Order: sequence, then C-alpha cells, then structure tokens
Amino acid sequence: MFYQTSIKTVCVAAVTFGLIAYAMLGGYFAREIVIEIALLAMLAIALDFLAGYGGMISLCHGAIYGVGAYIFGATTALSGTDPWLAALAAIAGTALFGWIVGAITANVGGIFFIMATLAFGQMAYVIVFESRALGGDDGLAGVGRFDLSAVGVNLNDSLQFALLCVAGMLLAYMVAATVLRSSFGRTLSGIHANEDRMQALGLSVRTHKANAFAISGAIAGAAGMLAAQHTQYISPEYLVWTLSGEALVVVILGGIGTLAGPVVGAALLVTLEHFIGGYTDRWHMFIGAILIVAVMAGRRGLFGEIEHRLSRRSETKTEAGIHA
Amino acid sequence: MSGTEFWATQFLNGLQLSMLLFLLSVGLTIIFGLMHFVNLAHGALYMLGAYIGVSIAMWTDNYWAAFFGAPIGVTIIGIALYTGVIKRMRKEGPMSQVLVTFGLIFVIVDLVRIVWGSIALGIPTPEILQGQVSIFGISYPAYRMFIIALGLAVMAGLSLMLARTSYGAMLRASVENGEMASAMGIDVEKLLFSVFCVGCALAGLAGVVAAPVFSATPAMATDILIPTLIVVVIGGLGSLTGAIVGSLIVGFIQTFGAVLLPSFSSILVYILLAGTLIIRPEGLVPARK
Amino acid sequence: MLEVRNLCKNFGGLAVAKNISLSLKKGERRVVLGPNGAGKTTLFNLLAGTLTPTSGSIILGGRNITRAPVEKRARLGLARSYQKNNLFEGLTVRENLGLAATTASGRTASLRCCAHDGAEMQDIIAEVAEQVGLSDSLDKPVSSCPYGNRRQLEVGLALAARPKLLLMDEPTSGVGPNMIDAFDKLIHALPRDLTMLIIEHDFDLGFNVADSITVLNYGEVVFEGSPEATRQSREVKEIYLGDWNHA
Repeated sequence: MFYQTSIKTVCVAAVTFGLIAYAMLGGYFAREIVIEIALLAMLAIALDFLAGYGGMISLCHGAIYGVGAYIFGATTALSGTDPWLAALAAIAGTALFGWIVGAITANVGGIFFIMATLAFGQMAYVIVFESRALGGDDGLAGVGRFDLSAVGVNLNDSLQFALLCVAGMLLAYMVAATVLRSSFGRTLSGIHANEDRMQALGLSVRTHKANAFAISGAIAGAAGMLAAQHTQYISPEYLVWTLSGEALVVVILGGIGTLAGPVVGAALLVTLEHFIGGYTDRWHMFIGAILIVAVMAGRRGLFGEIEHRLSRRSETKTEAGIHA
Repeated sequence: MSGTEFWATQFLNGLQLSMLLFLLSVGLTIIFGLMHFVNLAHGALYMLGAYIGVSIAMWTDNYWAAFFGAPIGVTIIGIALYTGVIKRMRKEGPMSQVLVTFGLIFVIVDLVRIVWGSIALGIPTPEILQGQVSIFGISYPAYRMFIIALGLAVMAGLSLMLARTSYGAMLRASVENGEMASAMGIDVEKLLFSVFCVGCALAGLAGVVAAPVFSATPAMATDILIPTLIVVVIGGLGSLTGAIVGSLIVGFIQTFGAVLLPSFSSILVYILLAGTLIIRPEGLVPARK
Repeated sequence: MLEVRNLCKNFGGLAVAKNISLSLKKGERRVVLGPNGAGKTTLFNLLAGTLTPTSGSIILGGRNITRAPVEKRARLGLARSYQKNNLFEGLTVRENLGLAATTASGRTASLRCCAHDGAEMQDIIAEVAEQVGLSDSLDKPVSSCPYGNRRQLEVGLALAARPKLLLMDEPTSGVGPNMIDAFDKLIHALPRDLTMLIIEHDFDLGFNVADSITVLNYGEVVFEGSPEATRQSREVKEIYLGDWNHA
C-alpha cells in the first residue's frame, strides 16, 4: 500500500528543485532535457500507478501518451480549438481509451494482459498511421500551446515552458499519490495483493480495474498533451511501441510500486540517453539492455533499494532503542 | 480477371498469410503451454531468419542454402538467448521472463540495423519457383503456392508427431499437467529446450520464406509479432489446434478485410481480439479444459 | 435466511453435488460434516458463487442468488473464510481488515484521501481484531504472523465484512489444540443473530458450536439433525467407520 513517506517527499522535491535549477541556470539545451525528463516522468508515474499498485503491467502506455498528443494536436491544428478545451478533450479521451482497454482486459491476468495491451497500443498506432485526416505518416504541424499571458507567463519562452512541464510532473505525482491514499487506491492495492479475495468481499474487480486504467490513462494522456505542445508537431512516432518500453524501463529502474522511483528513473534515463547519445545513435539497444539487466538484477529498483535500506536501518534503530 | 478468379486468388493469399502466422504461432503457443511464458522476441527471431537468409543467399547465390541455413542460424541464436537470459529467469517467474524478452526486441532490432542497415533487403525467388502455377482454374505465383504447401506440410508433420510419437505424447502430457508429467519421469526441462529450438527454427524458416515476398526490414519484428500474439490468444494458448484455427482466422480476416472493408481492415483483428478476451478469454481451442 | 433447493453440480459426467437441500434460519449455526471428498467445499463454492450450479436454486434472505456473481452475493451479506489461507500477503493485519471492512461498506470508489482510516473503519477493525484475538498484532505484516494468527485473520476478514451469513471452511485446519479452544470461544462469542455454516473436521468443536448438523457424503446430504441425533445416527457412524468412536 502507498504511503507518502518522508523519503518519497524528499526525493521528489529534490528532483523537482534540481530540474528547476537546471532549467533556470542552463541554456536552451538544458531546458529541452528538463522537459524530456518531466514528460517521461509523468508517463512513468502513470504506468507505475497501474503496474506497481494495480499489478497491471501495461505495454500500451506509450500509445496512450501518443493518443493524448494526437487529440490535443489534431483539435488545435485542424480546427483551431482553444488549447484549454483541447487539453480537456485529450485527458478525457485518453481516460476513455484507458477505461476501454482496462474493461476488455480486466478478466485476463499477467501475460495475457501484457500481450493484449501491446496489441491495443499497436492498434492505436496503426489507426493514426493510416489516417489521412490526421496526416498519416507525415503527421501534423501547427499544434497550439496554452495561452497563459493573462497571468504573465509566456509559454513560447523555453524556460517558462520547461517550468510548466515540471509543474505538470509534480501535479501528476500529487494526483497519483492522492488517489493511491484514498479508498480507491487502497482497494487497487488490495486487488494487486489478492484479486479473488477482493471479489469475495464484494468488489466489482472489473469496474475497479477499468477505472484505475482510466486514471492512469488520463495522466499518460496529459503528458502526451504537453509533449504535443512542446514540439508543436505530432507524428505516429508518438505512439510507437518503443515508448512503452522506455516507460517500463524507467519504472523498473526507478523502482516499481514506489511512485517516487519513476521520477528518479526518468531523470537518470534521460541523462544517460544524452550521455550515450554523444557516442552512438543506437539508443534503443541500450534501453533494451537496461530493461533486461534491471529485470534480471531484481525488483526493487534504485529508489526501491534506497527506501528499503533506509527503512531497515530505522527499524534496527528503534529495536536497538527498545533493548537499550 | 473474373469475380471467381479474384476470390480464388484472395483465398490463396489468405491461406498463404495463415501459413506464415502458423509457423510463428505454433512455437510460441507450445512454449507457453509448457512454461506459461511468452517469448515477445519471437518476431525478432523471424526477422533474423529473413536477414540471415538474405546474407546466405548473397554469399552462396543459392536460395536453398538460405532456406536450410537460416533456421539453423536462428536456432543457434535462440539457444544462446535461452541459456544466457531466459533460463536464468526461470525462478523469477513468467512475468519477468516476458519483460526480458520485450527488452530483447530492442536489442535485436538495433543489432540488425547495425549489421544489415535500415533499408529493405530482398532475396530473389529461386528459379524453380519463379512463374505461375495453375490451380482452381487460376494462375497463382508458384513461390506463394510453395509457402502454402510448406505450411501445410509442417502442420501435418507436427500434428502427426504430437498424435503418434512418444515425444508427442510426452509433450501433450506436459502441457496438460506439467507437475504430473515430471513426477512420471518426463524430463520437462529437456522437452522444453527441444520445443524452444523447434520454435526458433520455425520462426527462422518463416522469416526466410517470407523474405522473397515481403523483403527483410527491421520493422518486420514487431509487424508480425502483434498478429502472431493475436493468433495465440484467439486460438487458446498452449494448443496446436488453437494455433491452426487462430492462424486461419487471422490470415483470412486480414486478407479479406483489406478487400471488403478497406477502411476498417487494420482494426478488424483487434476487434476480434477484444471480442475473444471478453467472451472467451481462454481462447477458442484451449489446451486445458 | 438461506434456502438451498435441489442443488446439483456436474463436472462432465461426474456429479459432485447431488440434490442438496438445506434450510438455515436466521441465527442458526449449522455445522457441515463429511469425509474428505464429500463435497463440502464444493457446496461452499456453489453458495459463494465461484461455481455455478447445474441445476437447483439458492435463496439468500428471500432473494434468488443462484446465478448471481460472487461480488453480488457478498454485497447481499454473504462472507466466507477459506480452508487454505487466502489473505492479502505483504500487508499488515490492520490493512487486511481495513480492506475487508471498506470493501464491504461499498466505499471502494471514494477518492477522498485516507477514507480508509476513518473513525468508523477503525472501530470495525478494532472490534474484529478483538473478536478474533489479533488486537496485539494489528501492525504486524501478515507474512511475519504465525500460522495460527493467520487462521484467525482468515476468519477476521470474513467478519470485517459484517456479514449476515458466514461460511467458514475448516477454520481450525492445521492448528493445534490451544488454537482449537480459541476458535471455540471465538465462535461462541459471535453475535447470536449471525447465521453460520461451518465445515469442521474437529468433532468436539463441531458438536460444541452447532445448533444443527448436516452430513454430506459423495455430494449428497445423508443426514440432518441436532448434534445429539447425529451422535446417535447409525448411518453417520457407518460413514466414518471406526473414526467415530474417537469423537
């Protein structure tokens, strides 16, 4: 079950301040990295919410991110819809997409779930890829951005946009944390721990899983919506399966079922990507290798390991205190 | 081309796609039946089959060398993956194994890009299979006919082996009840290894026979993986009959969907998948009752 | 409270429940006896909804639940505990009971922060923990609880759901004599208006807590009567052969 421990708070705050500082002190390139980290962290938070606390390891979160980008991008670029309205549509649309995938797959466990989510993600990709109205393979340019000039924020400024993305990441974390601390979230953990018993106690497991998928989908969609605003251009690349893999790497590397871990994982992975990117453009190979090593090495992940060690130390301390 | 001829051609196209899907799904499904794990890198092995075939055909200038060499090459790679990665993950459970194979797709696809580049590479059709054959009163490319025949031959061979040989009996027993089978002295580990090898060989075979028709591209790893996964889910994981039924359904729906409902064709199989998961999540022909 | 009429269940050609009829009054404590493989757990699975009967009907509190899904039956007040521990591993005893209490209260969809920890839920958790004797172990992870405590929690999960009908499948399965006494007290201390159906292999405990007894054999009801009548039944004796004398 999820508890907002002080380790989590410290860790998320540290990453947030680090990103803000880097964006403010660094130049344009630094801000691009900050945006990349913030958006990947949002996507990974969405995935960890579902996979770490609900036991549903989805391989279509990359596609949901892309669906969010497309709903926002297509409505602003094609019909000139107000960006706020478009953002709302993107979040609602991805929640609906998540809910449907969740409802369809709720009866099947483990491996079937993985295969089915991979397939439905690919379905979204194929639909976008083949749709002429959405620009097909070429994608769409002319995607809008939020207008925050009323409060004195100019999002065409790279620093201010980067700060918006960091705010988005923080908000995503808080939404996920709040939901996980609620009865809804505890119940989700209950399903993860023992689905049959929850049903025997009177829970409609299927509805609950679908709803959880919808919440997770909305967070992933919000990240995609910000990504579309960032590049102001959308293409089927936003929905490609490798992004789901990248999100999974972030979650496993950071620590699945820790919520704060994905934030750390995203910062680490993007930094690593730019470091390795200086030597080779075969980044995907490293993603795959990291995923394999992270899965083979064990389950806790970086943040999970830190949390585990710290809590064990505090336990031994209290025990020592009692004996003394 | 008259109406009948058109439909006859489509029928054969559907059959040809079904056979490719069958060659891929049969390995996946039986491995699942034995160890409840799905090798998501199976599509990547198919891709490797195509590329290895391309290289062998280039060196030897002989299609048949590629035809026999590619499955062997893929099997060797498969054995390396199995012993190096998958087997070590046995204790961690099927879920971790699946995630590891997902990571393998990334690695293999990028390695292929490094070794063979990103452009499509083809294999010339062997001379003996160039031209057309006449069947049902229509003329149809001989090479595609060869794929159909090959698929049917593998199907018949595997069915006979499962039904008639003691190896087949052990396999069926282990899928039905693994614990019981090992208690009765069947070496499930050895069985598993041999099935994994056969699965890799068939994936490599599918890749090399597909190469003259579709060319080898890095995208083929995931392009074929999704329909193959849909085949095994629809058919029922772990069942040979399920793989046959599923391949035929998916192959024909994709082929005829493209003709009859062009604007929906690409999502028809996904609708089928969704329907199966809701109505009959155990698949049409489940391995266990 | 519970009316079971002509319940049958076949697996292919194998009949695992044959024409079972039962009637439980509100507050009645019925113990189900029978040798291994008599179909006791199958009966529970049919009542709780994890198996669907081939024919027959189940009426709970006047409502026909023969084909109702598991969760619907639970919401109508049916709770069960399992012969094999079926707990939320990895969570604490408090979290286990909290999940059961909240789920039964129907507040699982609430997004309000910490709704789980409300005073009302805490009261239920404390009360149930008291009933099953786990008040001192509330903050222990289930995984570090001894087996006997886990058995108590197994029943606790069912009780935290505040049921009207409680199905207990061998609550004392695998525990020692001290724990059997504890369960005897536990069951006696439960409110008298709670209807119970208990599968029990420990005869002393069974006869001690039962208002009435049903004996199953080969999926059929072979005897029904008071504990006293059961003790004297020739038919029941034959089923258990020599074992009976130990009781």
